[in-house]
Amino acid sequence: MVEFKIRRYDGEKSYWQSFEIPAKRGMTVLEALYYIKENYDSSLAFRASCRMGVCGSCAMKINDKPRLACETQVLMLGNAVKVEPLDNFRVIKDLITEFEGFFEKHKAVKPYLIRKDDVYAEPKELLQTPEELNEYYIFTLCIKCGACYSVCPAAATLDDYLGPAAMAAAYRFCADSRDEGQRERYRIVSSSNGVWRCHLAMECSEVCPKNVEPAKAVQLLRRKTAFSILKSLLGW
Amino acid sequence: MESAKSVMEPLAWILQMFTGLIMILLVTIHFYVTHMTSHEALKYAEVVSRVAQPEFKAMYAVLLLVVSLHAFNGLRAILLDTSAGMRRRKAINIFTTLAFLLAFIYGLYLLFSI
Amino acid sequence: MSVSGWFRFKGRSIFSWSFMFQRITGVVLLIYLIAHLTYLSSLFDRTGATYEGMIAITVSKQFLVFDILLVLCGVFHGINGFRIILHEFGIAYEYRKPLLAIFTVIAVAVWLYASYVMYSLTGG
Repeated sequence: MVEFKIRRYDGEKSYWQSFEIPAKRGMTVLEALYYIKENYDSSLAFRASCRMGVCGSCAMKINDKPRLACETQVLMLGNAVKVEPLDNFRVIKDLITEFEGFFEKHKAVKPYLIRKDDVYAEPKELLQTPEELNEYYIFTLCIKCGACYSVCPAAATLDDYLGPAAMAAAYRFCADSRDEGQRERYRIVSSSNGVWRCHLAMECSEVCPKNVEPAKAVQLLRRKTAFSILKSLLGW
Repeated sequence: MESAKSVMEPLAWILQMFTGLIMILLVTIHFYVTHMTSHEALKYAEVVSRVAQPEFKAMYAVLLLVVSLHAFNGLRAILLDTSAGMRRRKAINIFTTLAFLLAFIYGLYLLFSI
Repeated sequence: MSVSGWFRFKGRSIFSWSFMFQRITGVVLLIYLIAHLTYLSSLFDRTGATYEGMIAITVSKQFLVFDILLVLCGVFHGINGFRIILHEFGIAYEYRKPLLAIFTVIAVAVWLYASYVMYSLTGG
């Protein structure tokens, strides 16, 4: 039996609640949460969808580290499992946090290909070599789970900080050989809430369940942005 | 043409790195000369004669410039990392710039008076 | 949320620890810079009496522990800062774990050496 300590929140007060789960080999934390919901307390609220690590819905703090509940094995965590909602997000209920702001920030960096010859009526095939794809491929794997944002110290103290996920998405497009909107995006991410607020705590890369390495994306984006701005300053 | 505001941040970032690199060298020298040779180096007469030498005077001036820049830009950066600081961005930029100038000018005045 | 958000250590990797120390040592060094410039104003007294009086207090066995802590702050901030500069230029990000280990070891080694020299100079 494994003891699950879950931080509940009912809209007014926050409190801990414990449950004993008969854990079997192969059981994930998500399955344990469903077990609790079905057998002990149906009011337990959490987000989940694909249960296979691609949708990003079930990210939560498990034993102090943000992980995907569907990809975390209960028996690898020891006898006691502590489950809490992600940090740096406003808690709505139990393990469900507000994500509107996170998605708004992602949208703000224009995460889509920007091209001058974008004519819907006459679609054009855009060719790309494998080498060009490799430049940004890893940054396409982000599932927007929010784990990176929850451990970022800048996001902890600055509410409007764009965050690692949004900036990794910005870099993913800036580094895409098919994209022509780099300058637009550089201008967006070089606002005071953007790349300049990152000081390389690098915790985001450590907790990303998809190994996207957002910290690396932010550094590369910052370098490109800085030189772009300074070049235009000097009129090059 | 970029406005002054949008150029401050990338410039500050690059300067923070360059001053950091320069300081690794200069602070090491400064610390070695004052703390790792002998306590004679810290006597008043020794300090005055060391500062009188043009190479040392120049080194101290450069050290003062980079340290003040790095320290107060660093303070600016961490203050702007907070929501409370970001709301008062202009004031913090002005305050830390003034603090840097004060430290630098005061230090230069000290350097050239003794 | 207050700046305590910068200093969370539960469940964090060594990278967060290094970030926290970098920030703490940075603030300590900023305060020291201001104190240092103020201290040096004693040089204005051309007889040297004020300055020597302050040196007698601060360059002594009793003050050694503060000097050693200060040197730890400076050495860590500088050497770790160099590692951060490398990564901020996009260099060696793939080797960040070994780089952190190596630079921390270098910082500790330099600090121990400097502390030993200062200790010997104050008469052991």
